[in-house]
Amino acid sequence: MAEKIEEIHSRSCECSPTPSTPMGTPLRKVLDRISGFATPWKRGGTAPRCRRIFHRDVEREEFQHASTHCLSSYYSVFVARLAIMVMLAILIGLLTILTWHFTKSYTTRSLNGLAYGLRNELLQRPIVRMWNILNSTSEITTAQLKLSEYVFRRYNNPDTQAEQVELYEAMRDVTWALFASRKALNAITINYRNGFVQAFHRDHRSNNTFYIYSDLVNYSISASRSYDINMLSEHQGWKDQSIHGNVSAIWYQEPLDPVTGEKMGKAKPIPPDDQINIAGLEQVPDGVASWHVAVSKYTDSPLLSAALPVWDPSNKSIVAVVGVTTALYSVGQLMKELVEVHSGHIYLTSQEGYLLATSTNASLVTNSTKGPKLMMAVDSEDHIIQMGARWLQRAYGNNFSQSNEIHAESARLGREQYYIDSFFLKLKRLPLVGVIIIPRKNIMGKVDERAFKTLVILISASLCILFIGCICIFILTNGVSKEMKLRAELISHLDARRRAEASSNYKSQFLANMSHELRTPMAAVIGLLDILICDDCLTNEQYGTVTQIRKCSTALLRLLNNILDLSKVESGKLVLEEAEFDLGRELEGLVDMFSVQCINHNVETVLDLSDDMPKLVRGDSARVVQIFANLISNSLKFTTSGHVILRGWCENSNNSFIDTGKFALDQKKSWPTHKAKLKRQGSHMKKASKKENKMILQFEVDDTGCGIDPSKWESVFESFEQADPSTTRTHGGTGLGLCIVRTLVNKMGGEIKVVKKDGPGTLMRLYLLLSAPVDGIEQYQVDFSKHSLVALLALRGGMGRLIMSQWLHKIGVFTIEASEWNELTQILRELFSARISVRNNGFDAQCSLSEHLKTKLQNIQEMRNPVFVIVVDIGLLDLSTDIWKEQLNFLDNFFGKAKFAWMLNHDTSNAIKMELRSKGHILMVNLPLYKSKMIHILEAVIKERNVELQKKNLNGLRTTKEGDLHECLEIDATHFDIASSDDSDTSEMASSNSVGGGDKRRERTRKPCSSGYQKINNCLVELTCTHSKENYLTERDPCHVRPNSHDVEDEEASLSAEPQGDNAECRERHLGSSRLTLQGNLYSNKAVNEQKSLEGLRILLAEDTPVLQRVATIMLEKMGATVIAVGDGLQAVDALNCMLSAEDCGRGSLFEDRNTRSQAEIRDSPPYDLILMDCQMPKMDGYEATKVIRKSEAGTELHIPIVALTAHAMSSDEAKCLEVGMDAYLTKPIDYKLMVSTILSLTKTTA
Amino acid sequence: MEVGQMQSRLADYTKSLFMEGILDAQFLQLQQLQDESNPDFVVEVVSLFFDDSEKLLNDIARALDQQCVDFKKIDAHVHQLKGSSSSVGAQRVKNACVAFRNFCEEQNAEESRRCLQQVKQEYYLVKNKLETLFTLEQQIVAAGGSVPMIELSF
Repeated sequence: MAEKIEEIHSRSCECSPTPSTPMGTPLRKVLDRISGFATPWKRGGTAPRCRRIFHRDVEREEFQHASTHCLSSYYSVFVARLAIMVMLAILIGLLTILTWHFTKSYTTRSLNGLAYGLRNELLQRPIVRMWNILNSTSEITTAQLKLSEYVFRRYNNPDTQAEQVELYEAMRDVTWALFASRKALNAITINYRNGFVQAFHRDHRSNNTFYIYSDLVNYSISASRSYDINMLSEHQGWKDQSIHGNVSAIWYQEPLDPVTGEKMGKAKPIPPDDQINIAGLEQVPDGVASWHVAVSKYTDSPLLSAALPVWDPSNKSIVAVVGVTTALYSVGQLMKELVEVHSGHIYLTSQEGYLLATSTNASLVTNSTKGPKLMMAVDSEDHIIQMGARWLQRAYGNNFSQSNEIHAESARLGREQYYIDSFFLKLKRLPLVGVIIIPRKNIMGKVDERAFKTLVILISASLCILFIGCICIFILTNGVSKEMKLRAELISHLDARRRAEASSNYKSQFLANMSHELRTPMAAVIGLLDILICDDCLTNEQYGTVTQIRKCSTALLRLLNNILDLSKVESGKLVLEEAEFDLGRELEGLVDMFSVQCINHNVETVLDLSDDMPKLVRGDSARVVQIFANLISNSLKFTTSGHVILRGWCENSNNSFIDTGKFALDQKKSWPTHKAKLKRQGSHMKKASKKENKMILQFEVDDTGCGIDPSKWESVFESFEQADPSTTRTHGGTGLGLCIVRTLVNKMGGEIKVVKKDGPGTLMRLYLLLSAPVDGIEQYQVDFSKHSLVALLALRGGMGRLIMSQWLHKIGVFTIEASEWNELTQILRELFSARISVRNNGFDAQCSLSEHLKTKLQNIQEMRNPVFVIVVDIGLLDLSTDIWKEQLNFLDNFFGKAKFAWMLNHDTSNAIKMELRSKGHILMVNLPLYKSKMIHILEAVIKERNVELQKKNLNGLRTTKEGDLHECLEIDATHFDIASSDDSDTSEMASSNSVGGGDKRRERTRKPCSSGYQKINNCLVELTCTHSKENYLTERDPCHVRPNSHDVEDEEASLSAEPQGDNAECRERHLGSSRLTLQGNLYSNKAVNEQKSLEGLRILLAEDTPVLQRVATIMLEKMGATVIAVGDGLQAVDALNCMLSAEDCGRGSLFEDRNTRSQAEIRDSPPYDLILMDCQMPKMDGYEATKVIRKSEAGTELHIPIVALTAHAMSSDEAKCLEVGMDAYLTKPIDYKLMVSTILSLTKTTA
Repeated sequence: MEVGQMQSRLADYTKSLFMEGILDAQFLQLQQLQDESNPDFVVEVVSLFFDDSEKLLNDIARALDQQCVDFKKIDAHVHQLKGSSSSVGAQRVKNACVAFRNFCEEQNAEESRRCLQQVKQEYYLVKNKLETLFTLEQQIVAAGGSVPMIELSF
């Protein structure tokens, strides 16, 4: 059933396009709906291409489509259902009708045949009987005739009365014999010419037989004889006479014994023609046999009478007329019997329509006043015969008998249907018509009934099937429609998801594009601000404002970069660099930067890196710094007091991190669980990481801020998600920071999560998977134990102090801690009281030292020849009043015995610094204090001590304060700038960060400059240079840095000589303008026009675009470089080869005339100092050219730096550049400064 | 016309070019590079740019008319055009090139043709503007004045 329905359904679908069917239109609609479902898919295929333009329209349209979708689907399902039901109804109806038709028509036809046969048979038999009757009558008549003739011959010409009587007697006997032999005969008559009548009559009803004869008296043979002569000529006259004669005659009736013929009674006279018709001469006018139907007075049935003339054999005249009468009663009897079974009617009529015989009892004659007459069929008393006759008359007219046979199968007579058949029987002189009327019911009744019943059953059965079918269809289509609905929903969901994904993709793309578009003007703003800052005609206020603007711009740029980063990561375009960098240094710089903010917030920033951290790691330094910058700034944002600690340790190393002892004691308890977990985590990591020399670096950012609700620990890493919605109001920010962090950490194969911590605040833990360079694993372990150093840490920040003292303890330095001034004085007094009598100048606090401290002091005092390093936080001094000077004076007492290192704040006033310097405190370090700074301090102290020892040894020599002894350790954040500034797109972030940091520092450094404290200023410059240089030398052994720095300084002197030698103003500009302190003096701006930073450099420029070629050439030439420009990579390679073979290279060098160098010089020097290579060039692109050049260099010592010039601003392109052997990477349009710094960094390192 | 008037007009005109985004900071850099040793540097570079661009635009148009469009080639051309336009600071040409390249990546010929028209339009715009600018400058020089440096004030 279901299959059928589906078949119908599918068929309806198939045939629906043809509109010829009445179902065309609704099905068309259904089809439209169905195709409507399909369209989203189709659209899905073609959409992406045109989406860009019509995106909005399409989207709107789709939404509208979706809203009307539900209604239309309901409608279509309804229509489909209806269509299927109608189809089913038609099918079942057809089946029913066909079944009924076939069952009925065949039976009807066969039955009709049978019925026809039956009727025929029925009709034939009475007709045959009739025929028989006629025949027998005619035979008897003929026999009678023959006998009569015989008798007449015997008694020829009876002359006498006796002879006459004898003739009559003989005739009577003969006739009786004949009459007796035929029982069916009604009468036999003989009418003689003379009018004498002899007749036998049999009354069938009463079963009496009579002999009728006329009175002989009135007849004379003679008289008749005379008449006879004229008979032929005067036939009419004969007849008249005879009638006349008859009228006057007297007839006698004599009853007879029917069997023997004996006379039974007396003859009694009857009127002539009273009983029977006597056939007379008039009935045989032409002398041949005649037939007619007569009606007798005493019988109600018609009689058939035949008459024949008897001829006189001699004279050829009629002597008598013989008549035979037969009742047709028996025919009616037969008919009755025949139709009795069928309850039909049969009747016979004459041609004129007179009834001869019927199967009914109705009388056939009417008694009119003139005597009985035959009745017409149409006037029959029997209704049915009457109606049948009328029907026939109506249907076929009066002359229906002409046509032989009529068969009407369904003639309606009254209220019933009848078969009417008629036969025409053409007898000579007496044509007969037989009609049979049989009610249809009798023959076909059962059949019709059956047919009707069958029809009813069929219809009811089909109605049942239809009903059940409809219900089935309803149920099935209900399921289908539900499925369709679900599918449509699914499709719309898919559609919605696709759209959502697409829109998210658009968003990312849009953001990427937008932030790129925004970044360009921002870069211009910042660049122009830099130029403005360099300008020397700014007032201090203007300078401050411009610096402020620059800061804001930098912040804005940072935000833009954040968005760009995020969208880059989301769109999967972020490619991490793989470059070596000093992780520790980067982080120190970061902490330095943030400490400025921290101090404002009264928050302590502490960097706590374990010693097992690899110094150099490979990775994307900018991204790593970005991670921590985001984390720390986030922490700082929510921490109003307390500390922010950045901890780091290496998971890969075998020594357990507890041994490193860098954790606060109170936290150790909570560690073992973490440790176990981390170990597990680490163990499977290790397997993977071992191969590539990857290591898991664990970090923690711990703050004492407001903390994050545990339910939000996961969600804070979502984009635009903040733990508390109010933070946007109070703290600002976009909520992007942590999201970027997470994506970056994940990208580096790490994980980040918020971890439960004791006490207030948040603890974020992350690990990164970074690879370490093979040779970079060696970790230097500082060991100061042999120097017997004692460090007195007088620092305000408790956490930093604790961590520092633990670390110092570990590397073999005794530490004493003091957190406030009074404690410091007490410790100092305790320490040095034994050796020096200290003048009590009123700062002596009377608090007693703890036992623990005392034992410590005891231990120290037992040390032999200790070196004291006192690290004093400037914040310990009471700076609000003038007491700090007194405090300094107090400390002066210990100047000879201990080395002081001062921890300065970034806002420490110059007066204090000057005062400190004037008192000979030259070790000044900016907060915060971390390991490398501490190492520097300790090294400086040790060195100074060594110098002092030397001085002691060279007893007589005067000690002068050398520059190198006047070291003022300004350890700045600047240094990591140089290390990480490879001027790529991706590291811009870091540089812009550092610019922000650098600005602050610059402010600091400017102040002493303007104060005119030149000596220190010089030192400053030198030292900054030193640090820069240190970076270049990649610090293989940090212990050598200090001694090295002397040489370095000498070298650098030439570079920085000019600004130093110049006036203060120039120096100020030099310091202020430079983003990178080292390179600042190389800037070519208007004020220092004659300073050509690239003087003497020979640069090969391979660039196909003439515009760019020209611009770059001028730029470089302006800075004093000699530029040889070529059009493509092939020419570049050629030019290089020419130079190498010391030949003049003329081809392709457009600006060769500018080359002022002599050939000799070219031979002496390496041909080119640098190649600027465009990446996309005809003939041979930059990558190919670089590969070729590097190949040619392979055997030699040479390595010409190649800088890529490309318009692709993606780090993946940079990776490609570096892969083929280029050294650096510049993007178009060429940034002036960036180019210079890049070129310089490359040429100097190779120089 | 007074020289001063012309100078101020030049300044206004130049400013308007920056305001409309037709030129950007790169053009300023070009102007800064111009000095006594290279007196006609800007004009030289810009005319180089014009020549180069005409050639490239023709190449692109021809390539787009081909039966089967070689998008790689077009992309290379557009890339070059983008490079040179960004070098002279013709910002809007550059931006149009960026859009163009997107469609090149999609291999969308129809959009590319539209973009080509866009690029051409922008190019002729910047060409007209720059030529006007140079004419102004020449007039000033002819009148005996000096071409003022553009203020960094956009």
